[in-house]
Amino acid sequence: MSAPTADGTGLFIQGQRESGQDVRTGNVTAALAVANIVKTSLGPVGLDKMLVDDIGDVLITNDGATILAQLEVEHPAARVLVDLAQLQDSEVGDGTTSVVIVASELLRRSNELVKSGIHPTTIISGLRTALKQAVKFLKKNMVMKVSELNDDHLLMAAKTSMSSKIIGKEGEFFAQMAVDAVKSVGMKATMADAAGLENMIHSAASTSQDAKEGEKKVKMKYPLSAIHILKAHGKSALESHFIKGGFAINAMRAAQGMPTAVEGSVEEPIKIAFLDMNLQRHRMAMGVQVVVKDPAEIENIKKREMDITKERITKIIENGAKVVLTTKGVDDLCMKYFVEAGIICARRCNKDDLKRLAKATGGKLVVTMADMDGNETFDPDCLGKCTAVREERIGDGEMLYVHGCQGSGASTIVLRGANEYMLDEMDRALHDSLCVIKRMLESSTLVCGGGAVEAALSVHLEEYATTLHTREQLAIQEFADALLIIPKTLAVNAAKDSSELVAKLRASHAKSQKADATEEEKALKNIGLDLVEGAIRDNLAAGVVEPAISKIKSLRFATEAAITILRIDDRITLAKGQQQ
Amino acid sequence: MQAMQGPPGYGPVMVLNQKTKRQTGRQAQLSNISAARAVADIIRTTLGPRSMLKMLLDPMGGVVITNDGNCILREVDVSHPTAKSMIELSRAQDEEVGDGTTSVIILAGEMLILSEPLIHDNLHPTVIVQGYNKALQEALKICEKLALNVDIHDKDRMMKLVQSSIGTKFSSRWNDKMVEMALQAVMTVARPKGDKNGDKSSASNPYNHKMEVDIKRYAKVEKIPGGEISDSCVLKGVMFNKDTTHSKMRRRIEKPRILLLDCPLEYKKGESQTNVEITNTDDWNTMLRMEEEYVENMCMEIIAFQPDIVITEKGVSDLAQHYLAKANITAFRRLRKTDNNRVARATGATIVSRTDEIQETDIGTECGLFEMKKIGDEWFCFLDECEDPKACTIVLRGGSKDVLNEVERNLHDAMEVVRNVVYDPKLLPGGGATEMAVSMGLRRAGLKVEGVQQGPFLAVGEAMEVIPRTLAQNCGVSVIRTVTQLRAKHASACDGSEKSGEYQKYNWGINGTTGELVDMEELGIWEPFSVKVQTIKTAIESACMILRIDDIVSGSKKSI
Repeated sequence: MSAPTADGTGLFIQGQRESGQDVRTGNVTAALAVANIVKTSLGPVGLDKMLVDDIGDVLITNDGATILAQLEVEHPAARVLVDLAQLQDSEVGDGTTSVVIVASELLRRSNELVKSGIHPTTIISGLRTALKQAVKFLKKNMVMKVSELNDDHLLMAAKTSMSSKIIGKEGEFFAQMAVDAVKSVGMKATMADAAGLENMIHSAASTSQDAKEGEKKVKMKYPLSAIHILKAHGKSALESHFIKGGFAINAMRAAQGMPTAVEGSVEEPIKIAFLDMNLQRHRMAMGVQVVVKDPAEIENIKKREMDITKERITKIIENGAKVVLTTKGVDDLCMKYFVEAGIICARRCNKDDLKRLAKATGGKLVVTMADMDGNETFDPDCLGKCTAVREERIGDGEMLYVHGCQGSGASTIVLRGANEYMLDEMDRALHDSLCVIKRMLESSTLVCGGGAVEAALSVHLEEYATTLHTREQLAIQEFADALLIIPKTLAVNAAKDSSELVAKLRASHAKSQKADATEEEKALKNIGLDLVEGAIRDNLAAGVVEPAISKIKSLRFATEAAITILRIDDRITLAKGQQQ
Repeated sequence: MQAMQGPPGYGPVMVLNQKTKRQTGRQAQLSNISAARAVADIIRTTLGPRSMLKMLLDPMGGVVITNDGNCILREVDVSHPTAKSMIELSRAQDEEVGDGTTSVIILAGEMLILSEPLIHDNLHPTVIVQGYNKALQEALKICEKLALNVDIHDKDRMMKLVQSSIGTKFSSRWNDKMVEMALQAVMTVARPKGDKNGDKSSASNPYNHKMEVDIKRYAKVEKIPGGEISDSCVLKGVMFNKDTTHSKMRRRIEKPRILLLDCPLEYKKGESQTNVEITNTDDWNTMLRMEEEYVENMCMEIIAFQPDIVITEKGVSDLAQHYLAKANITAFRRLRKTDNNRVARATGATIVSRTDEIQETDIGTECGLFEMKKIGDEWFCFLDECEDPKACTIVLRGGSKDVLNEVERNLHDAMEVVRNVVYDPKLLPGGGATEMAVSMGLRRAGLKVEGVQQGPFLAVGEAMEVIPRTLAQNCGVSVIRTVTQLRAKHASACDGSEKSGEYQKYNWGINGTTGELVDMEELGIWEPFSVKVQTIKTAIESACMILRIDDIVSGSKKSI
């Protein structure tokens, strides 16, 4: 295995070298180890992991990507899978666990083929063919176009995605909240966005004809960044709430004399100023020295320093701002002006929050008040508008709530829960669901969950494999078998008889795919697992659905990751710094 | 588990970092449960009126003597992650409602302990979690039915309420005194919300209380060692530990005019770096004179408004003291911002940040009496007898610092209790009566639950009994006899309400002092609804979270 000098080739390597079957088996074992770690968190009866880092901080999670990111995975092949989960998380946002499980199963089966003497490149091309065929079949037969998505479909999808998470038991409640949140931030996509979106849907989920129809419609986009998730411990999870068109920032009034609330209406909105500058006594930049001859001047300089800030504040107030938020400091000296004008002022706000709030209320973050003429003015266009701003007590602290934003829209979800760990996990789970809803709204296609798609694809690919005359047939068959790992793992996690359930599942899907299937038999394609009862059922009727795009992407990612690892036949670990 | 055993002949494949430790499956679940049990056991003896204090020594040699659950757990250094999570619970409870920190831990621990047999019976944790959640919803319904509405202006009722919640904390000698103080302090700082703008905020927000009670900012507890606890009092105004800047200034003024400042009364250079080149000697004199004139100007501006007292958060120079003393004005310097805010609220003054901007409206006139008092060898400034004070100071006296610290913690709990009732004027019976009623209700309802969730559902019912059980245990009466008697009483009440078809309130519980069974209605032991409900919610939700864990990985590096 290690061949520093005497492997006869004369090549001298400082370090270790593994090659051929050794490295392949090593890689596959590592991949399986990674999959084993996340396996038990899959499905509605999956459980959570508690991760403790070296300083003792605790993280409780069910999200595959988060688990793998926290683990310090050292094996290079295993790292590929960790990155795969990360990729799925950023691209789709959900299905991180299943993608890792499928990839590792593909690897395991491919490795068996290699052992029986088939060249990896043949397997790779077989896997590619299988993937292509699978996606084609998925688009043609499994995907349901939902011309007019109604809330039911969205709720169903959201519930499916959160069923495995800590908030699954309150799925109904959180699903509604997530759907409301995503819908509230919907906006018309600009041309560029629409084109990008179109491409994505085009390549992923719809035929070219559908896409043409789609172009006529106004495309919507749903920027999830406009949904602000705030966490505050205390109360119970069911007391989490959603503020439509509202935004909450974690900031307090700067002085106690300020009002706790300013109220307006739609006609007479409250104006908010967003500043990214200091409202402190003006001072020259470092290194700038003022030299005066007349001692009286020094008094004037001092006075001027105070007046500059005062003038700025007066300008902001004159423009009608009722709320002033700044990312920097505000001098205690200046508080009185705000207090007297009945203005809420908060300092040291988070800059990202302010940017989002500015967008949501139609205002702009003001970096400087200088205008082109060298004077200082405050542009009233920079003021955001909303109907009310209130300071509310949550737990032990206070937060500023901005209600009725009149800009491009923003929403806030305030999560409550027993303690920090729970809140963090709720945040992650909700984020996944938001992603799912967004994908569904954008692509308006869905597929059945609960192992239905995997079983159908498996049956179809097996059929397809027999039509080929090449060695790739074997690889395609393995691909078909590998997909069954998802229903199998689901059943195992629920402590059900996986062999029996998967057999039933396959039987009904085989029936639905017969060439002469009746309408009734065709409907069997939606059959998936019912993990509570340990039976099979129509998962469309049961409301277990996922966006098609996420299924397709996860298949693609898994296959590609498996191929990447499969291609490796040599691993050289260089010894550290021996060259010097 | 660090290394996956490869196929025979290939040796182990290292996947994870060598230092990482893993516990999986049943092992992880059981270790979580035993950690929770350990935490609950630490504070079990501090529940109820017959509770004992704990003395905690920190590494620095400091001593904390307390029976406040949150306080004990905060000091305990635990390493098990689940135990940490439990401790977080009591913190959340403390911040949200400020009371019930002990019960929440005991209850959560009991929920987990009772899930252990279920796990051994191979019940899937998700099923247990579902059962627990169903039980939670049912328990909340029962609490809702048991609740009693109360008028917050009914002083006797309020007194009794607070008494029951802090009955465990003080010795009976000062009980009435403390309760009255807590009540008075909270009622002083409570004021209806939105009274400034005259409009009511929308009702859609769950945090929209009709009253605003900011204890943290406006009800300050000042501890002065010495004297007796019975000397403690709530001022109708504020007090702070400062002496006048000049010994010649007046020390007692009736109906003073108070000016609050947030700027120094001394010469201060500008922020920008400025240099002056002096070429002749006159200029030097001019500069010195200017500095003096500047201070004089400021003082004149102040004197023009004829205040009796000037309080600033910054410094007061000797020269300014001279001018102010001459104008018969009492001045204080370097007051804390928070204190200044309280003074502003109590006296109706506005804090001014530039002397040239003082207006007549900024002067506070609502204070009735200003007095300097010497307690021990320190001077204290009392601004007392304010008309309609919206802020107050609570002066605590007592033998030693440790005693005072404990009294302060307890007083804090008491004030939180009053605040919770002001927010949500609903009460539940104490002394384990609520828990027993919920337990009985769950047992009855549990029999109607179909499927495997019945086990966990009933387990919650059983777990609720831990509170009366612990109460009985801490009194030293026969636990089994007392609890079974109580259970029987509640069961017959349940039968009664089932027959009549109407829910009957049944308030029998344990008298925590004697261990006898009594009607809480007669004994007058009540607790705020929000505290009780929050306790049950937090306990069950956290138990669910911990039950869902089947893998503990420790030792991984902090991710960025």
